[in-house]
Parts: sequence; C-alpha cells; structure tokens
Amino acid sequence: MKSFIQVFSSVKLAIFLLIVITLASILGTLVPQHRTPEEYQAGYGELSGLLMRLEITQLYQSWWYVSLLFLFALNTIVCTLTRLGPKLKQTFTPTILAIPKQITRYREHKKFEKPGDLKSIGTQLRHILKKRHYRIKEEEKEKIRYVLAQKKTLGLFGSDIVHTGILVILLGGILSGLWGFRRTINITEGSTVEVPQADFQIRMDKFVTEFYPSGVVKDWKSTLTLIDSGQEQMRKTIEVNHPLSYQGFVFYQSSYGWDWNNPRLDILVRETGEETQAERIQISIGEKHLLKDSKTEVTALRFVPDFVITEGNRVATRSQQPNNPAVYLESQRNGEIIFRGWIFSKYPKFSQSHEGGEQDTSFVLQDFQATQYSGIQVTKDPGTNVIWVGCTMLMLGLFAAFYWPSRKLRFQLIGSGPRTEILVGGTSKKGREEFHKEFQSIISELRRSQ
Amino acid sequence: MSETTAFVAAFILYIVSALFYFFYVFSKRDKAAWLGYMAAAVGLIIHSAALVIRTIQSGHAPFTNMYESLSFFGWAAIFAYIIMEGKFKIKKVGPYMMLIVIALMALASSPLMPQQSQPLVPALQSYWLWLHVSVTLVGEAFFAIAFVTSILYLIADSKEKKGITTGLSSQNLDSISYRSIAVGFPFFTLGGLVFGMVWAYKAWGSYWSWDPKEVWSLITWFVFALYLHTRIVMGWKGRRSAWIAILGFLAALFTYFGVNYFLSGLHSYV
Repeated sequence: MKSFIQVFSSVKLAIFLLIVITLASILGTLVPQHRTPEEYQAGYGELSGLLMRLEITQLYQSWWYVSLLFLFALNTIVCTLTRLGPKLKQTFTPTILAIPKQITRYREHKKFEKPGDLKSIGTQLRHILKKRHYRIKEEEKEKIRYVLAQKKTLGLFGSDIVHTGILVILLGGILSGLWGFRRTINITEGSTVEVPQADFQIRMDKFVTEFYPSGVVKDWKSTLTLIDSGQEQMRKTIEVNHPLSYQGFVFYQSSYGWDWNNPRLDILVRETGEETQAERIQISIGEKHLLKDSKTEVTALRFVPDFVITEGNRVATRSQQPNNPAVYLESQRNGEIIFRGWIFSKYPKFSQSHEGGEQDTSFVLQDFQATQYSGIQVTKDPGTNVIWVGCTMLMLGLFAAFYWPSRKLRFQLIGSGPRTEILVGGTSKKGREEFHKEFQSIISELRRSQ
Repeated sequence: MSETTAFVAAFILYIVSALFYFFYVFSKRDKAAWLGYMAAAVGLIIHSAALVIRTIQSGHAPFTNMYESLSFFGWAAIFAYIIMEGKFKIKKVGPYMMLIVIALMALASSPLMPQQSQPLVPALQSYWLWLHVSVTLVGEAFFAIAFVTSILYLIADSKEKKGITTGLSSQNLDSISYRSIAVGFPFFTLGGLVFGMVWAYKAWGSYWSWDPKEVWSLITWFVFALYLHTRIVMGWKGRRSAWIAILGFLAALFTYFGVNYFLSGLHSYV
C-alpha cells in the first residue's frame, strides 16, 4: 500500500503519463479511426492487421488508451490527496508561533520599533490587517505576541480544484460511455414514432429546408410534437444548434433525406409503330400498370437515386442524393416481355442491358417524387451535466491558481514597556510586485498609526 | 472606408511598426520603439474597424473562413502584445512579434485564401461561434508571445553564457514566457476546450467526438499542462521550459491550420 502511494504520488509519473497519452493521441489523429477492415487493408496493406490487433484503428476506445487514462486519473487522485493534507493544515490549523529566522526567511521582511505598548499596537495591527481582508490568528507566549494573517487562501487550492474538475470530467466521460445513448431516426412529415428507450412518442408536424438566395441551404427546421401517454406535451421547432430537451432526452436536427423505397414515378411511354402515340403514367415500385391499349403492362421493379455499378457488377446507389436517378422497368405485351432494363432520368437516350425484342416502344423517366424525411438524433447522456460541473471547477480552479494568489504575513510583537519592537515577514504565492506594494503600505500605515 | 482599405491600412501600419522596432533593436533609440508601439496601436484600431465593417457586411462573426480567422488571429496577437508590452516593458520582443503578425496578415491576403464571405452553414449559426473562436484565438495569441520570448530566451541564454549581455535578460524573458502562458492557458482552456464542448453538445449532440481538431486542441493543452507542471512542481526553468513553450505553440498552430489541411474531420469549416 505504501509503495503504491509512493508510485502514484510521483509527479514524474504524471509527466511520463502525460507524454505517453499525448503521443498516443497524436497517433490516433494520423490513422483514420473506425473504418472498415477493407479500407485499412487498402491503405496500409500488411500493416493493417497489426493496426487492428493493437486497436490503433479505434485508439481512443482501446483497452490500452483507456487504461492510460485510468492510470492518469489514479495518479492525479493520489498526487492531489497527498498534497492536500499539509495545505489544509496550513490553512485551517496553522502554527502561529514562529521563530525570528522563519520570518526573516520570507522574501518580504522588516524589523522596526515604534512607541506604544503591546496591547495598543496589537489593536492597530488588527485594524490595518482587517481593512485589507486578512484573516487573523494570534497567540501570546512569554511576552511576545505572534500574529498570523492570511488571505486569498483559495488560491492555494487552485490546482486541487483544477485536478478535481478534470477527474469529474473523466467521470462524466465514463457515465456517457456506459449509459449514454445516441441514435438517429428518420421521420417523414405527419408520422409519429416511438422514441427509443423512452415511453413517449414524437410526431413530425412539419419539415422545411430553407435556402439562401444563392441556393445554398440556410437551415433545416423540424416542428416536433411530444406525445406522452396520449397527451400532447410540447411542441417545438428544432433546427441545427437549437435542440429540444424533454425528460433527459435531447432531440437534434441532424440530417435529412428522401424515402427512396417508395417514390412516385412519372414515366412517358412512347410507341413508334404505324401510329406514334405517347402516354404518361404514374406508378410506384411493384405496381403493375396497364396502358390504354389494354395489352401493354408496365412494372417498375426498383429505383435508385444515385445509380452506380459496383465491382461485383451489381447495381447500387452511390449516395442518398438524387444525383443519377434510375428505375428498373419491365414491360410485357400479351404476356411477352418487350422491355426490361434501367432507364435514367438524366440520360433518357441511354438504356442499359435491354431485354426484349421490339424496339418500337421507349420509356422516359420524366419525374420522380419521394417523401422527404428529417433525420432526428435522439440522445440521452447522463454524463453531460457532470461534464459541465467538471468544466466549471476546471475554470474556477485555473482562475484561483493563476489570479488569486494566497498571501501570508507573520508578525512578532515584542515589548514590555512604552516601545514595541515589530518583526514582520510575508509571502505571496504569485504576484510579487502587488504583494510588495501591499507589504510596504501595511508597514507605513502601522508606523504612522497612533 | 471599405473593409479592404482598413485591412490594408492596418497591414501597412504593422509593417511600419516592425521597421521602427527593428530600427530600435539596432540603434537602441527608445523613441523608435515608442513609434513602433504607436504604429501597432493605431494599426490595431484600424484593424478593429475592418473587423467591425466585415461583421456588419456579412452579418456574422468575422472568423468563418481562413482569411477572416487569420485576420482575427493577427488582431488578437497585436492586442495581446500591446497589453504585455504596456505591462512588462518588453520592447525587444516587438520586432519578432510584429513579424509573426505580418506573416499572418500576408497569408490572409494571399490569393490562396478565399476572401469572399459566404453565408453561414447551419452548424455555424450560433453565438457560440463568437465565444468559441474569439476566446480560443486570444489564448493562442498569448501562446504566440510565449513562443517569441522562448526563442529569444534560447538566444539570450547562449549569448549570456559567452558573456554577452543583451537588452532583455534571459531571466526576464523566461518570466515573460511564463506570464504569457499564465494568461493564454486559461483563455485557451475556456475557449478551445470548454466552449468547444458546450457548442459541440448544442450543435452535434455530443460534447466530445474525438474529432482530429478536438484531439489536437487536447494535445496542445497537454503540452502547456506539461510546461506548468515541470515548472511549478519540478522547478524546471530556462532552456527546457522554453522548448516546451515552443512545442506548445507549434501544437496550437497545427491545431489551427494543420488539422484542416492534413487531417479530415467534423471541423471542416475553417
């Protein structure tokens, strides 16, 4: 136990850990995090196996990085506690008696004499120090009066407050990691969904995208209604940077998109036989549509918003943006397939992999409409408030440590007659110039006072 | 007065200021240093006007692209330097500090940096843009002073070892470095880390995402924490402290520039 404390109370260990954590963190910014094994294989070749085994591919969540943070936290706790004891004693139960050498060792010290007996000078001194907000402790022994004056003692604990703040932040991080949850749900206008891990629902009343005159997106706004036990509890329009909070759950405007599984497609069918005729039809996926000639059937089998052919010669969508919309159509006439293939909205002349013999019927994808959805991120994070407490402590502690320097003055008043000898010394943790000025003014005021 | 005119006028004044300061270093005439200081101060006022005009014209905080944020960083560096010189009489630091500012202003006005102000993307439409960026850059401006004084320290220290004394003693430079970091560190912590976390929570729904810029700001913070601990607890001073302060500023610079150009992540705006 003793050696444990010895090891973990070492500042050298703290510095060593700080350096190791810094280097590890740098490594994590150089290797892209949370990619697929294939991407690592492509980027790093043979090295990728090692990267994944050492969890460098998810470094900040790896057992060894978390262990380093844990050791660092332990180190901070032990360092802070072992140094706290003496500081607390010094502040709350200090030794008031001091030998002259102790006083003259201070950077600021002075010895002088002035008329007045011990009692009256003691009263004057108390008055002068109180005016400057010093807390005074006195003791008399063998005709010598000892005075200890301290102020801004909080400054002495600045670093401890900072360290506690950091530990609280780490604790908040642990709480977030263990019990925080985060999920994005896509909701179309008018629909109601169950909030994950909660016993209430949200309804999307309205979803709008606002644009700048230049056409660039200005904002996404979702009007949400919270429904709890069948009652409408709350209605709010959320946008980026303006989430909605309810019972520890927070709802963020996070993304948007289209429900491409159920688009409405406008297709122009043109027959160039003896008699050219065109017919515009509206169909959904899977729906069979019989043309006016009562013998031709058109079926839309599949739709992709951003057509691409992958390595395995399969059709997929590159993104959810309608960059290259395409529909896979089948058409039969009298039970015989006359067309089967992809038609493209942007390239109406280009149809790939036709099947079917007759070429006198052509298809054009004229328009497509899908319901837009709003991506709402739902979070519940019990660590967040703990983090804010930690941040506040961190800032208060930094302020105290840098700009609230604790000051201490020690006096010895020696006198049995009409004259009293005064020995005074003092020290300030920081801000020597300011303290020097205060020290001088205390002495001159004491000299002058009657 | 247009924003560009004010920006160029401030830029010219900073160059004039640097010339006076360098003249002071070689001629040892206090008057030259005073003129350098005044040129920088007037430049700062005109530069402030440029930032205000920019804000009014664009309708948002003047640090949403590289031109704007470099210009603001230059402004903050002058602001920090004027305070530090006023308080600690560090005229000799002036010429080198002005060089950094001139480099920032030159980079801002280079054709590499698009100067056109763009409408704000949804994620940046928040008052936290003001708080997060300005407080962080003010903190980094003080790190810049510590960077300059640390380099000057290393030079002064090796000269003193050979028995040559310079205008500012190495001990003095060491203490100015510490004082700059004592100002910069709380600012950087508040603006970069705390305000950053609050804004990330409001905009992205998560106060920490291990985004490269976040990690690099933490790395910068670690380096300065190292500076403070080695100095206060272990009594390191002088050369080793100076090297840590230099590393710290380089880490801050990488967080500011490097991450955007070399690493990809959420902070893709500036």
